Amino acid sequence: MTTRRGFLASLLAASTLPTLSWADAGSPAFLACAKEADGSYALYGITAGGADTFRIPLPARGHAGAGHPDRPEAVFFARRPGAYALVVDCAIGKVRHRLEPPEGRQFNGHGAFLQEGAILVTSEQMADGSAGRLGIWDADGGYLRIGELSTGGIGPHEVLLMADGRTLAVANGGIRTDATDRTKLNLPDMRPNLAYMTLEDGLVEQVSLQPDLHFNSIRHLATRDDGLLAFAMQWEGPAELAPPLLGLHRRGKPLTLAAAPEGEQVLMQNYAGSIAMNGAGTEIAITSPRGGRVQRFDASGQFIGALARADVCGAATLPDGFLLTDGMGGLLKLSEGRAHPLGLRARAWDNHVVGL
Amino acid sequence: MIRTLALALTLAGPVAAAVPEVVNEHAMPGFQAFSRATSALADAAAADCTPAALDDSYNAAFDAWLGVAHLQLGPTEAVTHSIAFWPDKRGFVGKTLAGMIADQDPVADDVGGYAEVSAAARGFFALEAMLFDPAFDGYETGSYSCRLVQTIAADLARTATRLETGWAGGFADTLLSAGADNNPVYLSKDEALRALYTQLMAGLEFNAETRLGRPLGTFERPRPTRAEAWRSGRPLRNVELSLKALHGLARTLANGPTPETDAAFAAAADVTANIEDPTFQTIEDPQERLHVEILQQRIQAIRAAVSDEIGDPLGVAAGFNSGDGD
Repeated sequence: MTTRRGFLASLLAASTLPTLSWADAGSPAFLACAKEADGSYALYGITAGGADTFRIPLPARGHAGAGHPDRPEAVFFARRPGAYALVVDCAIGKVRHRLEPPEGRQFNGHGAFLQEGAILVTSEQMADGSAGRLGIWDADGGYLRIGELSTGGIGPHEVLLMADGRTLAVANGGIRTDATDRTKLNLPDMRPNLAYMTLEDGLVEQVSLQPDLHFNSIRHLATRDDGLLAFAMQWEGPAELAPPLLGLHRRGKPLTLAAAPEGEQVLMQNYAGSIAMNGAGTEIAITSPRGGRVQRFDASGQFIGALARADVCGAATLPDGFLLTDGMGGLLKLSEGRAHPLGLRARAWDNHVVGL
Repeated sequence: MIRTLALALTLAGPVAAAVPEVVNEHAMPGFQAFSRATSALADAAAADCTPAALDDSYNAAFDAWLGVAHLQLGPTEAVTHSIAFWPDKRGFVGKTLAGMIADQDPVADDVGGYAEVSAAARGFFALEAMLFDPAFDGYETGSYSCRLVQTIAADLARTATRLETGWAGGFADTLLSAGADNNPVYLSKDEALRALYTQLMAGLEFNAETRLGRPLGTFERPRPTRAEAWRSGRPLRNVELSLKALHGLARTLANGPTPETDAAFAAAADVTANIEDPTFQTIEDPQERLHVEILQQRIQAIRAAVSDEIGDPLGVAAGFNSGDGD
């Protein structure tokens, strides 16, 4: 927690030094939104050990966001359909910028920094028709909107920077939603896809699921240094089918889908809410708040094991495993199949915990 | 509001002590009984595999399952599907069994390997098809189907034993040590209580919406053959036994007087006598349908009573992320 003295010192630093670092924000390793016990919302910085480093009140429920690679600055997105995103100075606890998508576009909850933090990209859709857009913002120049690209799909959700530092992976969820709320309009015809993009060339590769899995909305992403991309899905088709919820892909190769054994697979309730790789890149975790379950797979898609934890959703990389957060306020470290409680806070952690 | 607060104050102490009682007096005896009853069924099948010989032991084992089926926690979660593959919306049970029989799949002679077959060909609903469905029940001693029945029964008994061991040898402790530093599942005593309370509410919901809701269908289109285990005549019996077990859980969980809850369970039990066909196969008849609907409403009323009397004092709220989706 920021002490009054620390807070004043930060203010002073802000006025005399050109830049602050993440150390000035208490060196958080993760960021997560939460709903407080009194019903208000806030953004928290969290250490790798699970301790709070800072708290910044938010005006409404947040979804996910991204931390700037150098500056203690994070962008957080409102829930879909998002009318704004906030760029927060995490060292002094102040909103620096409020981003609004251009006319007719909506933020879709996720974004990523690239070019050493000079550029922010945001996952967006056209309010009318849900065609995907990647919004491009000048993060070094006051977050001015400088362009946009088509994502080649409907209703994009997470966007992630690949290890090469220039390719972006986009989960085109495939679901067209009402311009004013989250009503799903095209489930019978939905066609999700995974898109790779660069700012220079736009779409550079696209892969789709086999036709009988077209109800599987690709929504969340995790990646490894060697270019392996893992994606988590949410099934909108007949509930009794329990299809795979995890996919693996490498550029230029076919997709691999991964499921747990039958009795285990159904426990996810056809829904994966977040995905993460462990620090070593040997395991992938997907979470299901509906099933209260975390499933682990190896990097070839083989099921390893599962953990029960009510309302679990947030998942992020720890050097030796995963950090998990849940709606009851719990923080858990999952390492080599064993869960270790890191803390229980009087707040409900929201869908995602974002690594810095 | 004042009433809720008063309940909270009076129940806070006793409720905190409820987890050990639920584990020791409700769950563990239930899993032991289930394990015993399925072993008896496997023994009976080994001695005589024919349907007539297994009627009693099949029903006794199914009865025992209803004593614990609502405890979807720990080791139970991942095996429930292989014990009770229902609802079976696409007829997988019949299709899978028919395929195995047509192919004379050698797995029927391999109890150890049977755990690898599709859940649709395991557990009570596979047995029900073999023992009560005219498409399957005409087999003779020594036939492929006979050995298949013996193996399904033996596999079920093994699953039940593993469940009992899983609870006794680990998961019971996980519930009992809720809030301890090294407990990775329940980070506080409250969480263990809430988990048990959630089973109670979900169990009631399952009876009302699935066990009764599926055969009720719509007024224009009732669906009698969607009733659970209707071929073995168990639809109403399953609801009654499940309610009995859930009442036991409610009483143990509350660990204090629950007059509204008790009255609501009694009111539901009262109306079951009005249902003339316990298999729900005459649910197309408006009078019969009405009786089933009344039972359904009474079960929803139990949920309301439990929520007031047990849930509110526990401060239980619905999940933040699970109810959301994104």
